[in-house]
Formats: sequence, C-alpha cells, structure tokens
Amino acid sequence: MSREQMLATLRTSLASNRAWLEAEAHKASHTPPPFVLPPADDLAAQFAAELTKLEGRVYQVADNEEALETLATLLEERQATTAVAWDLAEIGLPGLDKLLAERGVQVLEPVVRDEVRKAQLQVLEPAPVCLSGAEFAIAESGSLVLYHGPGRPRLASLLAPAHIAVIRSDQIVRGLGEAMARLRERYAGTLFDVTSNLTLISGPSRTADIEMTLSLGIHGPPELHVVLVQTP
Amino acid sequence: MATQTLHFHDRVDTALHDETLKTALERATTRFVGNRAGAIDALEDADGLRRQARALRANALSKLDELLVRLADQVEARGGKVCWAADGEAARRYIVDLARDRGVKSIVKSKSMASEEIHLNHALEHAGFEVVETDLGEYIIQLAGETPSHIIAPAIHKTREQVSALFEKHLGMTPTTEVPPMIRAARTALRQRFLQAEMGISGVNFGVADTGAIAIVENEGNARLSTTVPRIHVAIMGIERIVERFDDLAVMLQVLARSATGQKLSVYTSIISGPARPDEADGPEEFHLVLLDNGRSRILGGQYVESLMCIRCGACLNACPVYQAIGGHAYGGVYSGPIGAILTPLLQPDLPDAYLLPQASSLCGACQEVCPVGIAIPDMLLRLRADAVKAGKAHPVETAGIKSYALMMKNPLVYRAGGRAARLGSRLIGRKGRIRHLPPPLHLWTHGRDFPQPQGSQSFSEWWEERQKKGRTQ
Ligand code: SF4
Repeated sequence: MSREQMLATLRTSLASNRAWLEAEAHKASHTPPPFVLPPADDLAAQFAAELTKLEGRVYQVADNEEALETLATLLEERQATTAVAWDLAEIGLPGLDKLLAERGVQVLEPVVRDEVRKAQLQVLEPAPVCLSGAEFAIAESGSLVLYHGPGRPRLASLLAPAHIAVIRSDQIVRGLGEAMARLRERYAGTLFDVTSNLTLISGPSRTADIEMTLSLGIHGPPELHVVLVQTP
Repeated sequence: MATQTLHFHDRVDTALHDETLKTALERATTRFVGNRAGAIDALEDADGLRRQARALRANALSKLDELLVRLADQVEARGGKVCWAADGEAARRYIVDLARDRGVKSIVKSKSMASEEIHLNHALEHAGFEVVETDLGEYIIQLAGETPSHIIAPAIHKTREQVSALFEKHLGMTPTTEVPPMIRAARTALRQRFLQAEMGISGVNFGVADTGAIAIVENEGNARLSTTVPRIHVAIMGIERIVERFDDLAVMLQVLARSATGQKLSVYTSIISGPARPDEADGPEEFHLVLLDNGRSRILGGQYVESLMCIRCGACLNACPVYQAIGGHAYGGVYSGPIGAILTPLLQPDLPDAYLLPQASSLCGACQEVCPVGIAIPDMLLRLRADAVKAGKAHPVETAGIKSYALMMKNPLVYRAGGRAARLGSRLIGRKGRIRHLPPPLHLWTHGRDFPQPQGSQSFSEWWEERQKKGRTQ
C-alpha cells in the first residue's frame, strides 16, 4: 500500500476520535518544565553526585592544568597507546594535543565509511579509551549531552572500555527540559543539518538481565570518567 | 517454548506451576515497583508531569496524519528512505528485499516490540540471513529458543546456572556461577557480531515530527552500536509512537525512564535523524524508517483509541497482581500484562484465545494508577469483555460478573461498597494469605490456583502502596 492510501485510512479513522483527542490534548500545558526535582544550590556538586550514583566517576578540577594531570593519570592507569577520539579542537582543552603526544598516545579519528568500514572498525576496536567533550551536562540526572557531527564521532564515546569526557562547569544545566530548550535556541532549525545524531549518556553501560544483578559494560563502556573543569 | 500452541488457561497453569518463574517474577516486579515509586515520589510535581505526558500523547494522536508526513518528509530530505507498511507482511517484505538487494549476510538487532509483533526474525532467518538479538536478555532467550517473559527484563525466568550452560554451549565459556564473566563473554562475542554486521535493526521509542528524528532509549549500548556500526540502519516504528515537537521529549523521556525502571533517564538516549551526513566520520550510510500500521489505524478510529497513548514502559505489568503471578509467556501475544490484554486482542484478533486475555485481570485498578499517561485500562478491559460476549465468543459463565463490574466501575460509591464486600469475601475464602477463588469471571481460570490475597481490611490500592514502600527499600 502506498503512503497516500495509508494516510487516507488514517484520516478516515481519525475523524471519529479527533475531537476527543484534541480535548485531551488541551487538558495540560505542552511546555516541558525546565527541571523536575527540587532545585539544588550547586549544580556541579549535584551533577557529580548523580553521576557517581550511576557508577560514573567525576573529577572536579580547578583549571586546565589540573584537568591535564587527571587525564594523564587516567591514560597511564589504562596504559593507553591509542584512543578513539573527537577532533582534539572539539574537546576544547588547551594542551591536550601536547599531552597525548608526550605520552605517546596515538589519536585514532574514526573514518568508518564505504569500503574501509569493516577494516577501520577492527583498527579502532582494541583502543582502551574513548575521548570526547560534550555539549551540555545535566545536573539532575548526571547526564552528558553529546551533539555528534563532523569532528565529533559517535564511536568516540562508545567503543572502548573507558570513556573519558571533558566538560566545563558552565556547560551544566539543571534539567533535561532546560538542555533541550537551549539546544533548540542554539541550533534553531539546523539541529540535524550537518549531523545525524544527538546522544544523552547517563552513566556507564548497564544491564540487570541475569537474575536482576546489576552489571556494567555489557556493550558500551563499563567505565565513564568525567573531568569537570571549574570555569572562573 | 511453544507457549502459543497451548490454550490460555493451560499457559496460566504452566506458569503458576513454574517455581523458578515465580521467584524470578517476584524479584523483578517487586524491584521495578519499588524503583518506580521512589522515582515518581521524588518529582516536584509528579501529577503535573503525568498530565503533560498524557496531553502530549493525545496531541500527537489527534494530528497523527500530519505528523507522520512531517517526519517522513524530513527523513527523506536528509537522504533516508521511508516505508509505509500497512501490515506486517509489507514491513517484512521491505526489509527482506532490502537485505537481499544490498548483499547483507549478517544482521544485528536491538530490542524492538514492533519487530516481534510482525515476527521479523523468523522472516529474515527464513530468507537465509543471520540475525542476532543483541540486548543481553533477548540474546539469552534467542540462544535458548524461547520468548520474552518480561517487557523490560526478557530473560528473568532464566537462572544464572541456565545462562552459564547456554554460554558454555554457544560461546565456549568456562562454566561459572559468577555474573561478571558471563557479561564479559557476551560482550566479546556480540562485539564481533556488531563489527561484522552489514545491517542493524532497531525499534523506535518516539518519532519526533518537527525535527524529523527518532529517539531510542536503552541501558546497554547495543542500540547505539546497532544504529552506528553497520552500514545500514533500519528503524521500525509503530505509527502511533510519535510526538510533535523535539521539546516534548523532555517530558516523555523522563516519565518513560522513571516509570519503567525508576531511572531518572535511561543510560543512553539516541536521537537520530537520517543517515550519516557527508562530513560525519561514522554512522550508517543508509537509513530506512519503517512506519508500521498493522491494525493501529483501526484502533485509532474505535473506542480503544486511548491504548495508542501507551509508551511501553511496563509499569502496569509490574503493578498487576495477575501478571506478577503468571508472567509474560502466559499471555501468548507479544504484549503482555494489562496493556497486553488490551493490545493483543486488538492487534492480533486472529489469535484463537486472545479474547480471553481481558479476563486476566481482577480490575483492581493498580495499572491505571501507575500508568504515566493515565490510560483507563480497567475500563477498556471491561468493554473488551463485553465485546467478546456480544461477538458470542466468551463462555456464558465467564461473563457472569461483567454487568456488576461495569456498574461498580461507573459508580464510585457502588465500587467502594463492592470493594468492601469483595474484601470480606476474600477473607472468607482465603487461607494462608492466598486467594483460593476469585469472583466471576476470574474464578474459572483460578480453579485450583492460588492468588495473593489483599491483606487484612486494606483496599487493593492501600495494599499496593504498602508493597511499593516495601519494594523501595530493597
Ligand atoms: S499502558 Fe501505561 S503503564 Fe502500561 S506500558 Fe503502556 S504506558 Fe506503561
């Protein structure tokens, strides 16, 4: 059946219930609340507490220098020689390129397309860490909002056993409603013009499918580390 | 497990005699009920959010034709393809033909109720493709050759020993009673499947009309991998699963996660619009959106239209005393629990005993109380029972109680009086905290079976509230 036929059937059906549905639709406001929990004073502390509850790790650092030190430790602990990463410029931490070069960490920028797709995937697969930034962080739910796109590949928060993300405290919003409203303001009608994907991440990959026992890292990274840099 | 070939009453009987299932169901539903209650109580304005969620679903359904066109047009403008599938056959044919045409060998799937509804795996396997379910629970039951027992936790009826034996047989894992090594074995095996697959198939939690996107929620990361790694992504969406605006997601994603598992948000929410753009480094090169009607437009025009507001959170299943006792298999259809008892007879009217499902309810009202979009489930179950009588399907004795129930549901005073009478009655017939016989029409299929009894002189809602509190501390 074609699109027009299916739509015609739909319209005929809808005719008998449209009025009732419209009445139901008008029974509450359609504007989402910017946040849903009682407000907290310190958004950075709230974000850190929430993500920690989800088994994520948050490192609140005072400046870029301390952020680089934290990253160095995380890379060292994982003996990383490769990393699946965003364009370093997109992560927005000055000195990161130098740090990675000094430590001999080779940045693998995924180019997973066309005939090289499967071969590329096998090259990326062994990398021990993923490195990314984020568009926003959400305090209430301990979430990261990753606006993927050119220079911001999706695999750089997905493939490796550890995902390390760098964000700044002024990127934290209170709730999901606020995050979505800001995204709309920032990109208006162009949200999906040059990118096909927006992902919210709230903690490491988890499952409770075996006897309701919580286990981390079934498919996505079992470890999520967020380096949270205080903005002056 | 060929549960579908048994009669409904026999499936109920089988379930009630399965001790492993009973323990697993109790563990899962108690946990889910408690987690949900905690997450809803924490909200500043839980009732307001719920009313918003309902209004947004009603709004989307009221202009469903227009919204689907907006979604489809934008998907196509971004280089995606849209299949308008009037029924399961059309959807299956489109996907099988596509896989053949593109030379696909191996397919990874993330959880999708719509694909189960149309028995897509069977069609794909029949056509010679290798299909792997990648949600851990779905993977386990695929290896075991069974069907899901719970909407959120499909393999809860499997013990760790059974999972270990399956992984030993299929993955060569060393037998263990520890869960972490099983997780690692599954991760390793499934990761290679992802990297080898040419096609990923996903469901859709919400289509978003104004941005031309789809939203998929999950906790494991298998949906992210399925929609990112293979060259082709096919998303299957029931046509009713749509919202008008991007911002509507801010309400829907939160009520969904809180109602389903008590999470504030699911671990991963992917919002996807078309195939990867030319300058993107990864993501699928092809994106196909299958818009599945399969009986939904019929529901849209009838008296059960409200059931299309459902966001498949599973809260009504966990809250339902009947579901807690019999689990998902007994319902025989893809959708189980209170909402399944409505959707199955409507979407799969050909299932021989689907008309019996609306009787798998004590009409206690717990389902409607927890439903994040306030669907009037007990009311619809009653009407479906009446329909079955009118159609001459239902057994005369099975329908004896309908009139008095209908009266009770319509009139709160009578309902309360009736509730008191029923409590008195169950005290008389109950022993050791189990109900021996339920009032008609339920008594027929509880013959010889025990049901948990509402405690003391409490009403069902009081009882559930207490249960929820109990669950929360666990
Ligand atoms: S009917 Fe309501 S409670 Fe049940 S699954 Fe649907 S949305 Fe959830």
